[in-house]
Order: sequence, then C-alpha cells, then structure tokens
Amino acid sequence: MDKCIACGECAEKCPKKVTDTFNAGLAKRKAIYVEYPQAVPLKYAIDAPNCIYLKNGKCGFCAKVCPAQAIDFEQKEKTVRLQVGSVILAPGFSAFDPQKLDTYQYSQYQNVITSLEMERILSATGPYHGHLVRPSDKKEPSKIAWLQCIGSRDINRCDHGYCSSVCCMYAVKEAVIAKEHSPVALDTAIFYMDMRTYGKEFESYYQRAKDEKGVRFIRTRVHTIVENRETKDLSLRYVDENGKALEETFDLVVLSVGMETSKELAAFAGRLEIELNADNFAKTDCFSPVKTSRDGIYVCGAFQEPKDIPYSVMEASAAACWAEADLATSRGTLTKTKTFPVEKNITDEEARIGVFVCNCGTNIGGIVNVPAVAEMARTLPGVTYVEENLFTCSQDSQDKIKDIILKKGLNRVVVAACTPRTHEALFQETLRDAGLNKYLFEMANIRNQCSWVHSKEKDEATAKAKDLVRMAVARTRLITSLGQPTISVEPSALVIGGGIAGMTSALGLADQGYAVHLVEKQERLGGIALGLLNTWKGDNVPEKLAEMTKRVTTHSLINVYTGATVKASTGFIGNFETTLSVKGSDRLLKHGAVIVATGAQEHVPQEYLYGQNNRVLTHLELDRAISSDDPRLPAADAVAFIQCVGSRESKRPYCSKVCCTHSIKSAVRFKKINPEAQVFVIYRDIRTYGQRELLYREAREKGVIFIRYDLERKPEVKNDGDRLAITVKDHILGRDIEIHADLLILAAAIVPRDNEVLAQMFKLSCNSDNFFNEAHAKLRPVEFATAGIFLAGMAHYPKPIEESIAQAAAAASRAAVTLSKDRITVEGVVSYVKEFMCRGCGECERACPFNAISVQETDKAMLAAVVKEALCKGCGMCAVACPTGAASVHHFDDREVLTMVETAFEY
Amino acid sequence: MVLLFVEKPIERRITVYIYFLEGKMIMAEVAIKLEGKSKRSFLDDIKEIVPAGNLSLCLTCGLCSSGCPATGLFDMDPRKFLRMLVLGMDEEVMKSDWPWTCTMCQRCVYVCPMKIDIPQLVFNVRAARPRDQRPKGIRGSCDAAVNSESCSAMGTPVEDFIFVVNDVLEEYRAAQPEFADMVAPIDKVGAEFFVNQNSREPMTEPDEMVPLWKILHLAGVDWTYSSKAWAAENYCLFLADNENWETLVRRKAAQADALGVKTYLNTE
Repeated sequence: MDKCIACGECAEKCPKKVTDTFNAGLAKRKAIYVEYPQAVPLKYAIDAPNCIYLKNGKCGFCAKVCPAQAIDFEQKEKTVRLQVGSVILAPGFSAFDPQKLDTYQYSQYQNVITSLEMERILSATGPYHGHLVRPSDKKEPSKIAWLQCIGSRDINRCDHGYCSSVCCMYAVKEAVIAKEHSPVALDTAIFYMDMRTYGKEFESYYQRAKDEKGVRFIRTRVHTIVENRETKDLSLRYVDENGKALEETFDLVVLSVGMETSKELAAFAGRLEIELNADNFAKTDCFSPVKTSRDGIYVCGAFQEPKDIPYSVMEASAAACWAEADLATSRGTLTKTKTFPVEKNITDEEARIGVFVCNCGTNIGGIVNVPAVAEMARTLPGVTYVEENLFTCSQDSQDKIKDIILKKGLNRVVVAACTPRTHEALFQETLRDAGLNKYLFEMANIRNQCSWVHSKEKDEATAKAKDLVRMAVARTRLITSLGQPTISVEPSALVIGGGIAGMTSALGLADQGYAVHLVEKQERLGGIALGLLNTWKGDNVPEKLAEMTKRVTTHSLINVYTGATVKASTGFIGNFETTLSVKGSDRLLKHGAVIVATGAQEHVPQEYLYGQNNRVLTHLELDRAISSDDPRLPAADAVAFIQCVGSRESKRPYCSKVCCTHSIKSAVRFKKINPEAQVFVIYRDIRTYGQRELLYREAREKGVIFIRYDLERKPEVKNDGDRLAITVKDHILGRDIEIHADLLILAAAIVPRDNEVLAQMFKLSCNSDNFFNEAHAKLRPVEFATAGIFLAGMAHYPKPIEESIAQAAAAASRAAVTLSKDRITVEGVVSYVKEFMCRGCGECERACPFNAISVQETDKAMLAAVVKEALCKGCGMCAVACPTGAASVHHFDDREVLTMVETAFEY
Repeated sequence: MVLLFVEKPIERRITVYIYFLEGKMIMAEVAIKLEGKSKRSFLDDIKEIVPAGNLSLCLTCGLCSSGCPATGLFDMDPRKFLRMLVLGMDEEVMKSDWPWTCTMCQRCVYVCPMKIDIPQLVFNVRAARPRDQRPKGIRGSCDAAVNSESCSAMGTPVEDFIFVVNDVLEEYRAAQPEFADMVAPIDKVGAEFFVNQNSREPMTEPDEMVPLWKILHLAGVDWTYSSKAWAAENYCLFLADNENWETLVRRKAAQADALGVKTYLNTE
C-alpha cells in the first residue's frame, strides 16, 4: 500500500469488469479499484473474489503495468490484536432493500430506483457523470416521483416501526438538485405521510423547495406501480386528500429507502456483548446517548438510531469525549514526536531553486511533453537543478529530493506535478527533513490543469505546463522562510450556561482533567430541564438532573458561578480573559476555550385563549401541573393538544423539533391515567422522528385521535361554559369536528434567548431565526467560526435532552483538542499589517470571518489594525478589503502574486 | 402452472354488537361532535373480535384508498370508512351502502403499514345490518344457493349442470382431436381432486369451462365434479350471513367427503 501512487494504470489494464456497488449497481468498475473517489488513503485495492489472477493464477496485467511495483498478490488477511482502553462503534447502517415490496416491483422495473441510486445518478462521479438520465433508456426524465417511508414506519411489509429520520430531507434535496440538473422543466413530486423537516434550516429548505422551486408535495401513498412494457414509463395511482382517485405517469420513480441494522452488524453487537433495542439499534439512554450497555464501549451515528450527518458528527465527538475521559490518565503516553533538523537561514542567499517535474506514470507524461518542460525550466533565472521523475511523490523520490537539496545546496523547491491539496504536506515534510523551512516550497499543478483537462490537445497542454512552471519559479524566487510561532494555552474553559448542555460540557472537560468555570445566570443550575418530567424514553428528568447537578457542584475541577453573567471578554484561542459579574461584583478569569450553552426558552403563545382561560396551558406548564398534582389533570374527560403554536409560521419559520414528541408523550400519559378520557392531538405534520415513532404508535393504539390542520385553517378555540370548544376540520372527512375539552395544551415554540450580547462580545454570528450559527452545519456542528469558541444545546437550535447532551459532550471534546496542547502552533500563512500605512478605518475587521483582525489604539495613540495570528486562517479577506494596502498575507503578498500574473503574460 | 386454492373449513363465529348512539341524526354537513369521555364504539367491539387489535393505528396515509377499486363510490373509500369508525360515527357508517361495494379483494390490508384488516371491518359492518335490509341482489343469491341442491346462486338445477358439462365435453372432443380423450367426470368416487364450478359458466358461457378441463387433462390430474353442491360461489359470505355461509361450505365439504375425494379445489 505504501508504494501505490494511485496513478490508475492497473485499473485501466484490468480485464475484469465488476458491478460497482458504490454506484448502487448502476455502473461497472474493475477488479482492481478505488472504492470511491474521495477514498482515504487514495490507494487501489484488489477485489479478491473477482480477481482473475487470484482465482485462476493467470492474468497479472496490473502487476505488469504498475510503475511503482505496488501489486502484491501474496497479501493475506491478517488478524491484528490491539490493546485498547475504550472502543467507539461507528459501523453505520444498511439501506432497506425494497425488493420484497412486490407492489413496487423494484427488481423488475428498471426505472424504479432507490434514493441511493438517485444520489449516484445525480453525482458527478456517478454512473452517468452527473447527467440526469433514467436507467432503462438513458432518456432525460421529465417527471420524477419520490415515494417516502419505504421500509420505515411500517409493521406490515417490513418490521420497521421506526422512522428513518433522514428520508424526508434527502428526498426534498434530491428533488431540488434534480431540478437544477435537468435541462428540461423537470416535474418532481414527493408522495409522503408527514413531512419531517425538523432539523436546523430544514423547514425553510422545504418551504423554498415548495414555493420557489415548485417541487410538488402530495400527501398520500401510492399503492402500486404499473410499468408500460414498451415505454417503461411508470403509472402511479393514488388518492388525493379529498379521497379523489388520480392516476399519473412518471419517467422515474425513486423509493426513499430507510435505514436498518444489518444482520451481520446485529451479530457483531452480540459478540461485543452490547444490548440492542427492539429495532436492532444500540441501546442507550437519553442522559448518556452514546454509551452502550457495556462500560467502555461507545456508539455514534446511525447504529444508535437513524440520524443525519450533523447529529452523527456531534455524536462522534461526544463518544470521543467520554472515551477521552476514561483514558485521561494515560493521555499522551503512546504519542511519538517526529524531530527535524534545525532550519537553515537562507535570508542572505541567492535563490537556488530545484525543479522536479513529474510524469505521474503516463498520467502527465502521456500528454505533456515532460522533457520539454524540464528543458525550459533549466533556462529560468534562479533555477540551479532540474529533474524529471516517474513519480515525484514516491518514497524513493523523497529520499532523492532530500539528498539533492543537501548536495546542491538548494534553498527553494518547485514540484510540477499534481495538486497541493493532496501532496503539498508530503513535499513540505521532505523539505523540513532537509533542513529547509516548509514555506520554501511551491507546486505547479500540471496534471489536473494540463494533462487531464487538455488530454486531447497535447501541444497546448505542454505549453500551459511550461507557463505554470515559469509562474511558479518566478514566485518561488520571492518567497521566504516563515516563522511558526507558538502560543501558550491556558488549560481551562469557560462554559456559559448551567443547563443540561452546559453541565454536560463542564463535566466532559473536568473528567478529562481540565479546570472549568461554569457560569449560570439563574441562582440554580438546571435551566429549562428543571421544569421537565421525563424523557420520551422514560428517564426521570428530576432525578437525573439532580445527579448531574451534584456531580458538577462537587467536582474539584469545576467552579460554579450562579447568579452570574459574562460582562466582557478579550483574547483568543488558548488565551481568553473574561470578566464575570457575580452577584454584582466583578471577577476576572483566564481560560483557553469558551463553550456557549445558553439555551433557549418557551414561546408565550398569543392565540387559542392562552392567558385568558386557565384551562389553556403550554408544555412546560403542563409538566409543572403534573408535578404539582394539579387535580384538573386526572379529572379531565377530554384533553386536546394543538401543535406548532408559534412554529412553522411566517414569523418563526423553523420547526421546534421537540413538541410533537412532548405532546404525544403527554397524550399517552393522559390515556394511561384515564383510559376513558378522550385525547386529541391537532397537528400539521407529526414529527416523531427515529424511534419516537413508536410513541406515536402507542398513542394511536391507546385511542388518541390525531387531526391534521393546515396553516390556512387553524383550529378555533372558544370558551364553552366550564370547558373549551375547539373546532377543527377533519383532514380525511373534510368536515368540522367540534371538540369539548377540559384542557387544551399548546405545543408552544422554542425561541432563542437574547443572543445578541454574547454574539457581540465574542463576535459570533446568528442565523435569521436568532439561533447561534455553527462553523459548518455538517462538518463542524459544535464549533464557531472563531477558533476556541464552541456551541452546545438549544442556543444552537431546539433539541431534545439526548441531543443537547451529545452536542455538549462533543463541544467539550472539541475544546479539549485545544486545551490538551501545551502550546498552539500558529500557521505561517497569516495576515500582517504595515502599521504606517494603516489609517484604522476598520474595513478589514468587518471583512474578517474569523474575528482575527481588529482596530486598536497604538502606542502612538493612533488607530491601527492588529492581527491575532492565532485566529487568522490566511484567507486574505482583509488584504482585499484594505483600501490602502496596509494589510497583506504572508506567502501571498502582492509582489508574490502579481509576479506570477506578469510572468504569465511575459512571452 | 395452475394455481389451486383450497378452501379451509371455516370455524369462526362472529358476534357483533350494534350501538346506536343516543341523540340526533347527524347530517352530512353538521359538525362531528366529540365530547366527554369516549363512549364504547363499534371499533372497541371489533377490537375484541379481530385478533390483530390495531384498528385505531391508522396513519391516514391513504395507501388503502390508493389501491381500492371501490374508492370514490358513494364518495367514500377505505380511509374515510375507517376514519368514521375511529371518530365513533357508527350510525353514519351503518347507514352507508359503501361497505357493500367492497369486493373483499384485500388489496388494502396487503399494503397497510399498520396491517389494519379493513375487509374484516367491512364484513362486520355488513353483519351489523339487519338481514332484511342488506342488498337484495346479494341476499337473493345467498338464498338461492341455500335453497339449491347445486348450492348455486343462480339456482341451476342438477340436471342442467350435468347436461351442459357432457354436451360441451362431447362437442370439444369431436372438434379438437388432440383432446379426444379429455374427460369431465361427475361424481367419480375416490378421485384426487374435487373441482367446484362457478354457476355463471354452465349457465351463460359454457365454453369458459373448457380451458381448465384442458389443463387438468394435460396435467394428467385425477379430478371430478360433483352433481350436487358443485357450485363454487358463496354469496352468503358477501352478505355477511355467517350461518348460511357455513351451511353452504359444510354442504360442499360433505359432498366431497361422500365422494371420497382427497382434496377440495376452490376455483373461485
């Protein structure tokens, strides 16, 4: 594997074609292959059961053509024994196989595909190179239907009572992308039961898909798909919401398949002796959402419950947090540090540039005239050595480059090969091994930008390669060594907010051995959870909260400040200084990281007689009434719930995520206490995602009646003597239903707190709903764009306890990455300001996305921009924004960049 | 390949309670009133009878109605039907003629994600209507079969059946030499299969009987018709008349036993 340079010659020559499972069986690959384009490491592998040589002992074409001698047919499966302190399970899920649903004929009709096949069809690396065509005749479809809940929410045709959580959102996404890909006015229709777009920014995406993109959402399910044998078009019969039978023909039907645990995975769990729940997902509870039934084994992702990427990433970091806590005492005991020779000072030397031009097998050399490029490079000023390599990236080439640097006294290196994205770090390490600063290196990408894109025009490809090398060399003459200063780290964190999220983060860090300052505005820890009774899985919230609070308050590394607020904060990653106001007096804290866990609050309803009739309660009021044994509860003969009170409306377009589950949990409770009571849930979409669906089923089983309303026709609530009269139109019968209820519970929205103050202080951004914005929804869900500051709990978005806890543990884990270091190394490519040119206008400060540059008063009582190098990512926004040219970025200053441009036009 | 359906002996006895809720008639446009404690409803009773007690599990997803051939008739469909029962609108359901349009084809329960047995519900709703108020046509067919030695819903006499079978058989044996040896035995004792016959063919389209004979002939199957209780149809099932449904099935089974036939093939 070390030898493979991923040139692809082997796959090119391999005679054996195999069905490509990564492309959902829609394409073929070879028996020697890279599983998918982004595979890490990017290495070819032999598919042994399909390899002709391994089966018959003849063939071996791959070995013959491999320029790196990387093919080894003798490799055998090895059993490796590892001694570990914790185990994290992230085995993922299997997609439901729809073959058994005979009314949809997935295995017979070519144009009935699964959503995963659709993903591949839409992908540029997919079977049709991103060209949207259907499998039967490669025709561009003009009508596509998605059928939801295939293998989910079904206890008849499959044993999956749960909701797969992600299919609604991915179907909406696929429909929107399909429309964008299609050259025709594509018609898309999604057939569904409840549209479950409950995640952050999901509801607005759904609304845009509907209103702006014209995706049709049809609330019904299709019984049978019938194929026209000649055209292969597919006819769908369905009833609309009024019960009218309709028939429509589509070119392509996508089955939105759900997630399941494979039999093999279930057996694996058995071998690990961890418990699975009835649906074959790893059993966890809400207060330790990534801990399996066995100590030391953690789980994350869809093996725990069907879930999307952001939440899977949060859980992954949460699992790391708790595993790190278990291993805290042995942290760092197995790490090895690589040492490099002392860097040579080249400041006073003339440029002595070595240029290495790569053939990349035939990948570059087959198109670009590499000898001609090398020949040209020899003529360039500053170049003292030029060499062609078959593979510049191979290990022997590295050794050679190192040798040549030393022998020839090179002080700068240019590699003309592939992309710095994958290879820059490798060559930089080689430079460091040879005693050169890693910034004395430059790449010219003559593969992607020449041989690949101009494969049919060899001469032009060669001319362009020469241009790129000339430009690279010209720039390289100007580049210099850059320092990478290190800064110290204060190994403690400030956690703002003492609710479940804040306490979880505090414990996550303290259990790993870091000091934590936990700040709570109220006099008591607990936050919103103080008013909650139990989770949907039945955990007793007051008990668990008391345990958690006790652990926090007695932990030797956690300082709790109640009745405290954050007054001011300065500094940056590793080195914050924050002033707290604790019961009126100021306290100054030093800390290396910040976790914002300030929570959210319940919306005060403005409708449905709330505040006018004391029989109308919110969720939190209901939970309080239950815990204070309000006699009206057991006495109620009829109870109604109204969902989406203040959510999913134009003023507050997001879904509050937890309310459906909370209402249904409470509805079941009413039915348990008094089975004769009539309980109604008046809803828009029931969003009991994942295994919460089982609760929804239990409610229906117990006789809770669900009635759906539209935003255009909300239920009407009137006083009715001692009771309340609620009128709502039944969604099936189209007739008004009059409910006489003793209690009305409003599923009031969850609204953000006043996040503006903290946002200003730490320069954090909020979305249009005023929840804090994470750095990246999928890949950095618990971090802010500003380094060293993290986010957890409902300050990010409404969420249930288990998700708050997972996110809070994740934030602790991410913060620990900083706190575990003695010093942080600052990258050399950072911005700098020539103070004498700066007029303190602040354009750079406004432009910086990382809070890394700000205008400050100088020693000479002038205003000038100052860069916090620890926060700077070297993006160059400040340099662009600066009207005087005072701000620049090291390694990419105007001279270095403009020289390249000038060189490009020289000949 | 021939699909052979074997009718199993039916032993179930279904008792149905009818609850006419006190109070006024509910007209179509009047709001549905739901108040106070939930009253015992038809659905509650059904739950006790039908083993899969999941009738209130309906997700109102529409799968049943999307596949139902009776959707739209009388402005009704299986989903509306079940919804009315869930909301306790028993009186209106009992008045509706829609349940009589159901063909018991089971397309609904086949795909229902909650496996709600709507045909079973339909059957019980039918049974809840006094017999003399059930649809005349179905009732007439049930009665005709009960009163017929042939168990024929069309009242086909035994002699007519025997004559038609033999007449058609002769005709085909003569006209198609490759089937000169084909048989259509009646009352053959000890045959492997008892084959029943819908009355419609011998009465109105006798040629339609022949393809099955040919298949049985080519497959070398040892089979027989019966002269008595030969009719395949059983309208008492559709009438939800349990007693006569059972009577007819028992008469047919007894005839098969009398002939010493091993297997009863239901061609319906």
